[in-house]
Amino acid sequence: MQEERLVTVFSEAARAVGAKVESVSGVEGVVDYVKQLATGPVMVPHFASSERLKLAAAIKKAGVVLVQDDLRQGAAIAAVGVTGANFAFAATGTVVLESTAEDIRLATTLPEHHVVLLDPAKILVDDLAAVPHLRTFHQNSSRNYLAYITGPSRTADIERVLTIGVHGPKELHILLFSGLSDDPLEM
Amino acid sequence: MSKVRAKEYQLRIDHALATPKLQDALHKFGDAFLLAREKAFSQYDFEALRQEIAASKDEVAAHRQQYLEQFIANAEAAGATVYLAKTAADANSYIAELAKSRGVKLAAKSKSMASEETHLNHALESAGVEALETDLGEWIIQLAGQRPSHMVMPAIHMFKEEVAELFSKVTGIQEPAEIAHLVQVAREQLRQGYLDADMGITGANIAVAETGGIALITNEGNARLVSTLPKIHVALLGVEKIVPTLEDAATIIRTLPKNATGQLLTSYVTWIRGAVPCGDGEKELHLVLLDNGRSALAESPQCRDALRCIKCGPCANVCPVYQTVGGHVFGHVYIGAIGIILTAFFHGLDNAAEIVRACIGCRACVTVCPSNIDLENIILSLRETIGHEEGIGVGKSIVFRKVMRNRKLFHSLIRAASLLQKPVTGGHRTIRHLPLFFSSLTEWRTLPAIAEKSLRDQWQKIPQKLEKPRYKVALFGGCANDFLYPELGIDLIKVMNKLNVEVSYPLEQNCCGVPALYSGDKETAIALAEQNIAAMLKDDPDFVITTCPTCTMALQRDFVEFLKDNPVWAAKAEHLAEITVDAAGFIVNQLGAAEVFKGISAAEKVTYHDSCHLKRGAGVWKEPRELLTTSGRELVEMDHADRCCGFGGSYSLTSHPDISKQILGDKIKDIEKSGATCVAMDCPGCMLQLRGGLEKQGVEVRAMHTVQLLAESLE
Repeated sequence: MQEERLVTVFSEAARAVGAKVESVSGVEGVVDYVKQLATGPVMVPHFASSERLKLAAAIKKAGVVLVQDDLRQGAAIAAVGVTGANFAFAATGTVVLESTAEDIRLATTLPEHHVVLLDPAKILVDDLAAVPHLRTFHQNSSRNYLAYITGPSRTADIERVLTIGVHGPKELHILLFSGLSDDPLEM
Repeated sequence: MSKVRAKEYQLRIDHALATPKLQDALHKFGDAFLLAREKAFSQYDFEALRQEIAASKDEVAAHRQQYLEQFIANAEAAGATVYLAKTAADANSYIAELAKSRGVKLAAKSKSMASEETHLNHALESAGVEALETDLGEWIIQLAGQRPSHMVMPAIHMFKEEVAELFSKVTGIQEPAEIAHLVQVAREQLRQGYLDADMGITGANIAVAETGGIALITNEGNARLVSTLPKIHVALLGVEKIVPTLEDAATIIRTLPKNATGQLLTSYVTWIRGAVPCGDGEKELHLVLLDNGRSALAESPQCRDALRCIKCGPCANVCPVYQTVGGHVFGHVYIGAIGIILTAFFHGLDNAAEIVRACIGCRACVTVCPSNIDLENIILSLRETIGHEEGIGVGKSIVFRKVMRNRKLFHSLIRAASLLQKPVTGGHRTIRHLPLFFSSLTEWRTLPAIAEKSLRDQWQKIPQKLEKPRYKVALFGGCANDFLYPELGIDLIKVMNKLNVEVSYPLEQNCCGVPALYSGDKETAIALAEQNIAAMLKDDPDFVITTCPTCTMALQRDFVEFLKDNPVWAAKAEHLAEITVDAAGFIVNQLGAAEVFKGISAAEKVTYHDSCHLKRGAGVWKEPRELLTTSGRELVEMDHADRCCGFGGSYSLTSHPDISKQILGDKIKDIEKSGATCVAMDCPGCMLQLRGGLEKQGVEVRAMHTVQLLAESLE
């Protein structure tokens, strides 16, 4: 019940800032979704839940070109970056990504589309509920790069007119995937 | 020096006032911003949040060394190199030397006000390093060769056509002036810069002592690229960005976007601790902690609260002066109210001397500050410092020191002036034109003549026959009520007597001292405080009633502050502050007597103008409205009811009459649009300004004090 309500609040808040929120089932659902966005190569960095799903292989098998070798140059020409999320919070529609590994950062900053897989069981209430997890990340590792992502990249620097997609991803797609992972410390 | 400076400053004002397009944009922005902000905070308790932010910043200020050491130790343990820069030059040369020693050719920058403060780009250029601004607004002003005119939106003063021209020069083709297209041009043009840069330079919104990490609050995504792709990351941040814990950081993150842009949260919040992986190795991370005047600011008891600032910008957005002239006039590198203070400490008093007088004192900024900084009060104390350094002007100095402090001399000079003015008034109550040199003062507003008989000269002859008065109160008239509008005092007697309250007028009362204080002469203000406390408490009244909210603030706040360390006066000042109350507040709150006036008035359409110091100083705005509607008047709210009328005392007469005139023009438009036939207010200063402006423009709307309207209905 509580989870249902958090999913509703999260989805509304994320959509309000321009993110797309969809439910998918199974790895096939993810592959289908990614494939229709893939006007160019797709980057799937290493993260735990994708390894379990063998997501990269499934996407490749569907005939999509993956970025594999030179990640920096590859990310710059990739059309889509696919990552998980460690957890999310509902009040602002925010996904939280432990992005210390560089490939996660490349996949979430350079491509035009960022697809995030999120287990709805990992949606917290708000930013304050996120703090204990932040502290755990800091305790578990001495160096961190943690990201709150709320909607696509935006600017209002010309005449205060809101414009989506300036330097970061132009589109943020959040795929709700039940049973993916219930550990907020894991992506 | 100061003459040249003042002249250049005046030229900038003239230029800004001749750019109505900019004023229009900033006015619309101010309106839209307030709506968005209100919506963003609708589920949150802004007051509680700002108390929390102030408390955590104060905690760090009180134990600066301890938190600084904790932050540095944790950052170093995570592989960062920390450099503590005493001055802007130190920070610049550290970064420039680092760049040279690493063979850096291109540094990609995300937005950093600290780097604007130190003029880092110049230093990098001198060292042969190209600095590429990647924040859209910063890139625009870099291409234009300008400085930011707003902390959050650096290019807010520019229009899309100008941006298109700048971008066309970069791309070599004529770019259309369409915003979505221009944003795409920036995306494409800057993309390669991130990949090519050997160094990334960011600022930081927060530094967390607990972790040794920093947090960046951004929207565009460029800071993430700048801090990810280049091998070297330099973050330049003021030492005041340090907070104790992740919870303290979370409170700032919860508040800043809502207050800065009306967003619930920005697109990105990025927490970076230590040297994270980069390519095949690890990032070289340098944290440059900038002092540059911050320690001096922390040592100043009057000004130190300014270090709480989280650089969110709305103190400018809501400021009528900023809306009128923009940040290139009303600011140096930092702009608006906080900009005045930071400029004084970071860039020197000389750069702050003009803008410190440009504040009109309306306190609009104070209400939106998320760190609970009393910006107006700090600006006043800086004005005093500058008064000491540069003098307050010979004329003012003589008036304040020699004349005002001597009450009898002051008042007899006013009486003399009342006779001398006859040639210009022609016996009328207002001055429509002044000869020659002074003519500009009445070009846009008539001025009230000095009354033939002041309130103090008539008082004894006004009968008050109350058998058993409920209270005995003393009226603190203030100069305007006493010498310009004595009829207001007589009306007050009428209203108070109706409520069975007897009013006295202690004759030894003098000017409240605010004009001297606002001009930077605190000594005179303190001398006047002592005279007034003695005069007002002499007969031990139950309450001291005021009709002018600026005087109210002096009695309630300033006198206490001036004399808190003076054993002779401190307790008396406290007592006076406790019993001082404005007339409308007194009737509604102390007497609970609004009903006495029920239905006594015709249903005139009245709009209400909130005086700055009544609403934002004394916290009174509901009370006069209640009195007006209870009396039977129809209250129609104007837009921006609580926006300053532009008076500000000597602000409109001598220091910034041209800005005052513009702000008055805005107010008159709002009054006219309301459709009311009368504008009510509770301040003789606002009355002077609004009556004068309405009369000069031939607008047939009466400008009346609430007390006058109540008295009028009693007749």
